[in-house]
Amino acid sequence: MMRVVSIPAALLIAFGVFAQTGGESGVTSADIAAGLADPTRWLTYSGDYSGQRHSPLRQITPRNVNRLVPQWTFQSGTYARGRGFETTPLALDGVLYATGPNGYAWALDARTGRPFWEYRRTLPNDLTYGASAPVNRGFGILGDRLFMVTQDAHLLAFDRRSGVLLWDVVLADYRIGYAATLAPLVVDDKVIVGISGGEYATRGFVDAYDPATGNRLWRLHTVPAPGEPGSETWPTDEAAERGGGGTWMTGSYDPELGLLYWGTGNPNPDFNGVGRVGDNLYTASLLAIEAETGKLRWHYQFTPHDTHDWDSNHVPVLATLRWNGADRRVVMVANRNGFFYVIDRVTGEFLLGKPFTATTWAREIGADGRPIVLNPDGSSGCLPDTYGGTNFNPPSYDPRLKLFFVSARETCAQFSPLEPVFTPGQVSVAGVVWADRDQAFGALRAIDVMTGEMKWEFRVPQPNFSGVMTTASGLVFTGDQEGNFIALDSASGKELWHYQTGTSIWGAAAMTYVLDGRQQVLIPSGSVLFSFALPAN
Amino acid sequence: MGRGLEVCAWLLLLSSAVSLARAEERNPFENDEVAIRTGAQLFAARCAVCHGPDAKGGLGPDLTQRWVRGETDESAFRIARNGVAGTTMPPSTAPDNELWAIVAHLRSISVVPALQSTGDAGRGRAVFADDCAGCHQVSGEGGALGPDLTRVGAGRSRAVLIEALRDPSASVALGFRTVTVAMRGGERVEGVVKGEDAFSIQVVTSDGELRAFPKRGIELERSKESLMPVFDTSRLSDTSLEDLLAYLGTLRGAQTNP
Repeated sequence: MMRVVSIPAALLIAFGVFAQTGGESGVTSADIAAGLADPTRWLTYSGDYSGQRHSPLRQITPRNVNRLVPQWTFQSGTYARGRGFETTPLALDGVLYATGPNGYAWALDARTGRPFWEYRRTLPNDLTYGASAPVNRGFGILGDRLFMVTQDAHLLAFDRRSGVLLWDVVLADYRIGYAATLAPLVVDDKVIVGISGGEYATRGFVDAYDPATGNRLWRLHTVPAPGEPGSETWPTDEAAERGGGGTWMTGSYDPELGLLYWGTGNPNPDFNGVGRVGDNLYTASLLAIEAETGKLRWHYQFTPHDTHDWDSNHVPVLATLRWNGADRRVVMVANRNGFFYVIDRVTGEFLLGKPFTATTWAREIGADGRPIVLNPDGSSGCLPDTYGGTNFNPPSYDPRLKLFFVSARETCAQFSPLEPVFTPGQVSVAGVVWADRDQAFGALRAIDVMTGEMKWEFRVPQPNFSGVMTTASGLVFTGDQEGNFIALDSASGKELWHYQTGTSIWGAAAMTYVLDGRQQVLIPSGSVLFSFALPAN
Repeated sequence: MGRGLEVCAWLLLLSSAVSLARAEERNPFENDEVAIRTGAQLFAARCAVCHGPDAKGGLGPDLTQRWVRGETDESAFRIARNGVAGTTMPPSTAPDNELWAIVAHLRSISVVPALQSTGDAGRGRAVFADDCAGCHQVSGEGGALGPDLTRVGAGRSRAVLIEALRDPSASVALGFRTVTVAMRGGERVEGVVKGEDAFSIQVVTSDGELRAFPKRGIELERSKESLMPVFDTSRLSDTSLEDLLAYLGTLRGAQTNP
């Protein structure tokens, strides 16, 4: 279990310990492992390896958050209409490093939002999944190098000071259907990435790369090869070879156990399971992977034989909970299938599964961790739609309150399979989804992690894709499909402040750090990155 | 024969016929019923995940209004082929005949045939001026509360129009749903909801004005009943209904085909 804070953040702020003067150059793996202990920094996608996206900062509080005002806006000049500006910027020594849609990236002055440099990748005009998801969720950093994946399924390394490209390696052939959108996770001396493209006849994997050279260190396929454990859950080698299982969201990491926690996506074809009878391991699952070797330690499958496109590409949230009288290292996931899970992250043992949305898919998760499915094919009733009870947008966890915060999507859909057609570079979803738009809405929900019960909710008109961040001062920052960036009281759900950004906050979650003694809160929306703080005086 | 095989057989049959088709040319499958059926299957397999099974939108936009707006098969083909830069609409490497078939399907579910009526369009125009124009616009003339009807004849069938007149609450489109805003001071404002978020609501009031209200301090009374009056036979005789339908059928905007 990581220690969340080792130094009282307020003390550091008060004495200006981290005031920006240039500082040391470069980031060590120990810096990343220290998480948010240095309040001037945000060095990895979720802030730290735990995936909690919970900041120890306390300058902005429930009492003063209503005075939050924009400090600057950065107009990126690029836009992914229909999706979002999904990045989490990294903060280091007064500089923000952010990626954007359509192959853009920047280094920005954190005081003004003015760019030091801009990078734009020349993308091929025959992109496959990368054209449908022209987005990117952020950089990884180590030393003076930044790491970024691309819509044409490459991994790039840049010099953070100049934006010069240092190396460029191919993850997979984009022409078949592969793409990459996640923020790389830097663990010790490795850059860990995953792949998108489960709507095409692809086979997912998690990779580790050498940050110095770009050489691949290991690859773990999420669908086993013939003869490997789990291959018996596929009827034919051919079905497994195109079985999907994308790995398109950044995972979490337990340095003491040396284990990565990484979600996997839907089996392919998405909506028709006739040709892939079986559980289809390791799709729609959580994998515990040895960071050193890439070996699979354990797995837990949320949705066996999924036929709803319910990827399990979520940020796994790590915590230690007092469970039946003993401390348990757990990993928590609010899943696209509408259930919230607590799993022992040492062994993979299922501890808790409770619905956090209204769903008729499964009655409950049995004691063995397997869902008791009521409505397997979704041809009737009212299931979470293809975007799920929640999606990849990051949740957050407040360890003091023991509350897990997630953007819930209440939708009502029915699924109709079609005969699949497999053509390289063409989607093979093999079905349609009928959603009742009149019954849909969204809600930020606070879940008691000990029971899985909802403590409070804050409703918004549409099912949304906003991420969540919490602070130790008792705030939840979230957004909605209507464009509001919102602060709520963590304990009660009371709305305290909002700001209309002008378009949906889609796939993005806020980050926060201290600059010149003042806590900043950043959120991307549309084509704009907003920076908020309390008034200077 | 499975649906996939049917698609393959049909594509094989027609591949030579369309091998010369280019984006600049007319859709070779316009009104071709076999092609339209195949296009429907291809649409379901490749497009519906974003645009919805009925093409009325999801994460992607509603595609059924393109032709009613007067746009062409050729422009739809170009978008399907090239995608839309800066959006999630990807380019396609599929053969021309597959894209033309998808376009033919979309057109078939978007554009209705010329409306048949025994009425007189001239008399119908007068009925419209008396009973409809207060709330509906045609070519920029009329009220703003209800939907613009400039091209209604291209996109709405006779049955749909009759239902909209005789039983307007049977189906109320998004953007025209009824709300009454009750304020603390006792003022009540009735209108249709144009937009809302968690904190505010935007309304066109029943007298045609744009008003917005913060949600704090008001009560919202939503109704499934349309603000459109029920035009039953006591209000609109069968004869006048036929006249009105004849007039509405002429409102096809730039759309002249089929």
